[in-house]
Amino acid sequence: MDIAEVLKHTSPELFLPNLTATDKQGALAEMVEGLIAGTQISKPETIMQMLTSREALGSTAVGPGIGFPHGRTLAVQRLTIMIARSAEGVDFDSEDGNKTHLFFMLIAPPQDSGHQYIKSLAALIDRIQDGDLRDSLMAAENYESFCNAMKED
Amino acid sequence: MHPQLQLLVALQDLDEMINETANQGTELEGLGFKHGGLEELKKSREDLATKIEPGHLSWYKRLTGKFGHAVVPVVSNLCTGCFANIPSSFVSKTNENKVQKCESCGRLLYWP
Ligand SMILES: [Zn+2]
Repeated sequence: MDIAEVLKHTSPELFLPNLTATDKQGALAEMVEGLIAGTQISKPETIMQMLTSREALGSTAVGPGIGFPHGRTLAVQRLTIMIARSAEGVDFDSEDGNKTHLFFMLIAPPQDSGHQYIKSLAALIDRIQDGDLRDSLMAAENYESFCNAMKED
Repeated sequence: MHPQLQLLVALQDLDEMINETANQGTELEGLGFKHGGLEELKKSREDLATKIEPGHLSWYKRLTGKFGHAVVPVVSNLCTGCFANIPSSFVSKTNENKVQKCESCGRLLYWP
């Protein structure tokens, strides 16, 4: 899947450039709060419960320095992607023990039959392997330059 | 939301996650995700189920067996399971005290 296609599921309202939380629960809560504020989605507790269960299955910080909290829930009607960043880093139980600085949170509805969100996850993970890109994303001044960096070849 | 419905929604989300780990687990592991907590997750699913009234739980099981999903969102006054019209009176205050079923297909209704 094309990165531009994946980015259609996010928006400037779903970009949190400076997370304040430094622990996993706090960071998830801050992202869910941002999701509720930036969309028509309600029911934050349902989304939190799903994300917390997903982290119990295994940390979604698959790095390097990046986390992909994800899952399906009845609380959303369509795939929605939240982007968040932390200069200080969040303790997200990553396998390498390092802090997580960048998050792509993918929330999909249960009836996502074509596994669109897994394809989006795969495209993001593939794209983010580029170390120079990760530096540009951390430095990007706003949503637009973040997305432009993502789309650049 | 009715507290029992909230539990049923959480149960369905958990079942979805457990099924996905079984069905798309290899694909997700290929992306780098680990699923070491699966047994723990199944246990919390069972713990959650004990908090649901037996009548609701057996209805949930029956619907899941029949349709795959037991709880469906109501969108634009339609049951998204069978597309039957859901009267707007269903959302009225008096109805918040009970778990609502679609009169046509029996699925449990959720207003997102
Ligand atoms: Zn119905």
